[in-house]
Amino acid sequence: MTIHFVMCASGRRAPMFFRRRWDQAGAVDETFGGLRVGTDLVAVDDVAESVARFGDRYVGRVYTAHEVSCCQGPPSVVAAGLAARFAAKEATIKVLRPVDHQPDWRSIEIRRDPAGWCAVHLTGGAARMARQQGIRNLAVSLTHESGMAAAVVVAVCDGGEEKER
Amino acid sequence: METEIREILAEHARLPVEVSALDDDADLYQAGMTSHASVSVMLALEDTFDIEFPESMLRKSTFESVSAISAALTSLVGAPAE
Repeated sequence: MTIHFVMCASGRRAPMFFRRRWDQAGAVDETFGGLRVGTDLVAVDDVAESVARFGDRYVGRVYTAHEVSCCQGPPSVVAAGLAARFAAKEATIKVLRPVDHQPDWRSIEIRRDPAGWCAVHLTGGAARMARQQGIRNLAVSLTHESGMAAAVVVAVCDGGEEKER
Repeated sequence: METEIREILAEHARLPVEVSALDDDADLYQAGMTSHASVSVMLALEDTFDIEFPESMLRKSTFESVSAISAALTSLVGAPAE
């Protein structure tokens, strides 16, 4: 991909791609280009109670095997990790903006890199929604503290199939 | 069926208001039910009514009110007995 640079009013150079986005920001439906942000907050105790009450049915219905493998240890540690991942799934759903039908929670997988950071990997219905809306890149950040877990997801959209219609 | 649904909501929906104070058509999400709580509600409904919600029914609208849940259960288990 070739990146063309333009000169901003400040005198600093900016890639043409971003300059075009800025110029069009007021005229183009943001569904067809730009950034989206989703966030969610989950009480760790709520997840701990669901694990205790529903066990593997809850875990298997919501989380992938990789996610479960990343959340090992004492129950409080497991619950905090799962809560952060649930928050990330919900934050991703907010970015995907389903009209009604919601993708399977397991089609949104939070993958942990061996170096420590996390990434969002979509499959199935979630991947299809992202493709239709031109969501090409997703970034996620997780955190948990004082009984609460939170996640933020940022998506870059470029129009995708919707734009091509 | 509505009585059992309300009992499940009282136990799992974590609403800040009494379930009995809500109309059948009241929006449970607006009343304070979180997405995570709706998962617990779904699993409790499956336990109580011995059913499983297919992926096609995993919609926010399926769990948005007592009447919506009742309609979903009716479609899965059949019409309630008189």
